[in-house]
Amino acid sequence: MALRAAVLRHIRLPVQTLPAAGSRPQSQLSFLRLFSSHDDHLTKEEVIDRVLDVVKSFPKVDPSQVTPDVHFQNDLGLDSLDNVEIVMALEEEFKLEIPDKEADKIDSCNLAIEYIYNHPLAG
Amino acid sequence: MAFTLRSVKVPPNSASLEEARGRVFDFFRQACRSIPTIMDIYNLDDVVTKSQLRSIIASEIRKNTHVTNPKVIDMLLFKGMEELNNIVEHAKQRHHIIGQYVLGRQGLAQDSDTKDEGTSDFLKNFYKSNYF
Repeated sequence: MALRAAVLRHIRLPVQTLPAAGSRPQSQLSFLRLFSSHDDHLTKEEVIDRVLDVVKSFPKVDPSQVTPDVHFQNDLGLDSLDNVEIVMALEEEFKLEIPDKEADKIDSCNLAIEYIYNHPLAG
Repeated sequence: MAFTLRSVKVPPNSASLEEARGRVFDFFRQACRSIPTIMDIYNLDDVVTKSQLRSIIASEIRKNTHVTNPKVIDMLLFKGMEELNNIVEHAKQRHHIIGQYVLGRQGLAQDSDTKDEGTSDFLKNFYKSNYF
């Protein structure tokens, strides 16, 4: 028994650390899975770009102040009705329908980007 | 009947300002979600964009921000719902929508016209109403 454990200890394979955030599998396999509809999720950069475009084109917003972390009411000086209006504009842009409870929580660009990125139906 | 679907719900009876505020946002969301239908019914694609209509609805709601009584807010919401129903049921016509909501956002032309610039405020107020 002790001999067996000693032998097993010596022939153990080294452990490989996985590549960061699964980025390699996607780039390796993206050209293979041509007919799969599972990887037409939006990339995070695309979500960020489109969300920032929507916020910048809002008439009351100063485009130079818009960053991915900006808070609608605290940093951009909007009020709660403007907040709802921005969420509706995001709904239109990404062809989603956000339920009221979730829409009330979206207060800043960060939360909007997180929500849209994690939504399976985001277009 | 599809026409009465929106107004069949129990009329709003808000206990507090917070509840009334929630109802206002619900009404705003409902109005924004009917914007594509409205644009389609009245052929407004060449006249306004959806985001302009959203801003117009928001400014109409904002005209009443000074109200603090929840029952008054409920009454205003009821009237807003009625107006929205009328518009979506095609009870209005294109010129109503354009005249009431799209145009005239910069103030009346007679106020910004150069002809009346020199006249006194007294006259301007007199033209507007009897009581000032």
